[in-house]
Amino acid sequence: MNLQHTKTRLLLPLFALFFLLAGCNPTVTRVQSDTVTDLSGKWNDTDSRLVAEEMVQDVLSRAWLTKFNRSKGKAPTVIVGTVRNLSHEHINTRTFIADIERELINSGEVEFVASAQDRKEVRGEVKDQDLNASEETRKAMGNEVGADFMLQGSINTIVDAVSGEQARFYQIDLTLIELGTNRKVWVGQKKIKKTIEKGGFRL
Amino acid sequence: MTVLRNGYLFALNKQIFHSGGCRVNSRLFSAGYLSLFLKLSFVLGLGILLQSCASYGSHATTMRDGMLMGHPELSLAIAEKEDPDEKDVVSSLDKGMLRRINENYSGSNQIFEVAKQEIEKLYGFSITENLASVTINETLRGYEGDRYEQLLLHAYMAMNYIQLGDVDSARVEMLQANVKMMEWGDEPEEDAFLRYLEGIIYESLGEYDSALISYRKAYNVYKEKGGAQYPVAPELLKKDLLRLLAWQGLWSEYKTYKKEFGMANYKAPKASDKFGELVVILNNGLAPIRSEKAIHVFSAEVNQNLRIAFPVYDHPKQRLYTPRVSIDNKQKYLETVEDIDALARYSLEQAMPGIMARATARAVIKYNTQHTAEDNSPLAGLLMTITNIVTERADTRSWTTLPQEIQLQRITLPVGEHQLKIEMLDVSGRVVDVIEENVVIKPRQFSFVIKHWNTPVPKKRVLNNDVKTDKQVVKL
Repeated sequence: MNLQHTKTRLLLPLFALFFLLAGCNPTVTRVQSDTVTDLSGKWNDTDSRLVAEEMVQDVLSRAWLTKFNRSKGKAPTVIVGTVRNLSHEHINTRTFIADIERELINSGEVEFVASAQDRKEVRGEVKDQDLNASEETRKAMGNEVGADFMLQGSINTIVDAVSGEQARFYQIDLTLIELGTNRKVWVGQKKIKKTIEKGGFRL
Repeated sequence: MTVLRNGYLFALNKQIFHSGGCRVNSRLFSAGYLSLFLKLSFVLGLGILLQSCASYGSHATTMRDGMLMGHPELSLAIAEKEDPDEKDVVSSLDKGMLRRINENYSGSNQIFEVAKQEIEKLYGFSITENLASVTINETLRGYEGDRYEQLLLHAYMAMNYIQLGDVDSARVEMLQANVKMMEWGDEPEEDAFLRYLEGIIYESLGEYDSALISYRKAYNVYKEKGGAQYPVAPELLKKDLLRLLAWQGLWSEYKTYKKEFGMANYKAPKASDKFGELVVILNNGLAPIRSEKAIHVFSAEVNQNLRIAFPVYDHPKQRLYTPRVSIDNKQKYLETVEDIDALARYSLEQAMPGIMARATARAVIKYNTQHTAEDNSPLAGLLMTITNIVTERADTRSWTTLPQEIQLQRITLPVGEHQLKIEMLDVSGRVVDVIEENVVIKPRQFSFVIKHWNTPVPKKRVLNNDVKTDKQVVKL
């Protein structure tokens, strides 16, 4: 009887351990890429996508575009410059820029030229063609399209915090600057506010 | 996993206590014998499990040996073997520091980021860990690092980003440290070096107004706590503060500070396209290491002398070699901007009342279980005594790969390439070691040289001979 008792006593914590360990396996659920997933309260894919969509909608509905179309008789050519991360989080501004670029190109209202970094690679290829490609497929240098406007911006944050509670305010500013004249033709702004509460207890 | 293991240990401990009590009714000798055997194996198992947590001090000593012999790659190899799950904050901090010493800055930031996330997870009062800490020992509490360590984590990540050429990301780290300090309450525990570094980062990005605020805050910390947890305000910082006040045209404040600093002859230099700024940061020496001490204290509650273990710094502060920058025939001594040795000792001193209170409470609980067991059978009592001695461990964890001091110097240099030497001087002023580096100064821009140094190492030649003998031994 007592032996039985001891055995159960020994086994119980072991069972408990196995159950706990079983809980450690990761569970994966696939979700649509436009589902809002707020986990830690940090800047995430949803923020990046929402800001890009709204900014692009705004930039395409403003007067500068029709004015340019009327005076030049063509769609403006835009280049994306740098979007500086001045926030308190490590934000991957590249995905954000890519989101904006895609939305703008797909709208068909503006044309895009490759960024300074990408151009270098392309020029290398054209230079290589000069030597190695056949006459009829060879692309000549000096035929690049110069951009009319440059898109620049920054992501800023203001954080207020007391123990366990945070209010995060993100402000994303984008500016479209006319090259040559340095005129600002459009300024876009998007604000996001989040509050985050941390639990005071854990196991 | 830590939480899980703690829970398990706690369950184990409970099991030992409980079965000790229920042996009174035992009639069958074999059953009693079996339960004794079970208990013994539990005690042994517990001892083995605990060893992994208890031996941080000795693990750290072995790990630091490599750094002290001028072979940080050996230290890194030892550190990398620890904690493969990357769940333990102190292991991640050590790995991060050793990776950066071995010039793997992105790898360092990757593991530092892991440490940062784990610290975040340890936020809040843990029920199981605190129970374990008053029943078994302190090492079962999750280690989130002291506050100065948490802030220095951001500082070292920022330095990694600077060395990767990404000053914007270094700025992000400074802002995160700001949020952290904000969360700590109305009287934020400012770190002088962190504020100074923040100022330098802002200044290098051309944000003079923010830089001025950071310099001001840094100066206030040095002024308030200088000579105790912090070194006295560096002359460098005073000049930086005055220069930025002049650049911003805040003349009345400029005059007040000039008077306070006793720098009547100071004249703020003007920024010029012909010059750039060199910032030299040296991480000198190694932080102090905690060891365990056990004493007997009298407890009125149980009318007994009880044995308790607690952490101490049993070595006095080490004397450091003096670093001197030598460039373009100019020589300047580096100034101490952070005294981690003092911070560590101060931090332990502050935590001591809590540590002692928990230790005494723990000793009383342990004494009572021991006593109950003894009432039942002398053997069970003896076993409990062994368990209690084995499990009574001081928490010796701390970030021991940090330097003892952080030292800094700033020099304005003409644009172009320069040969920089950091000379290490002993007490008599003799140069014992030289760190050499080529620096390129760009107009109005900041260049950074950040180094780690411990002790003068024997010349490479001698070490090569050692390696040869080792190989010969292996061949034999």
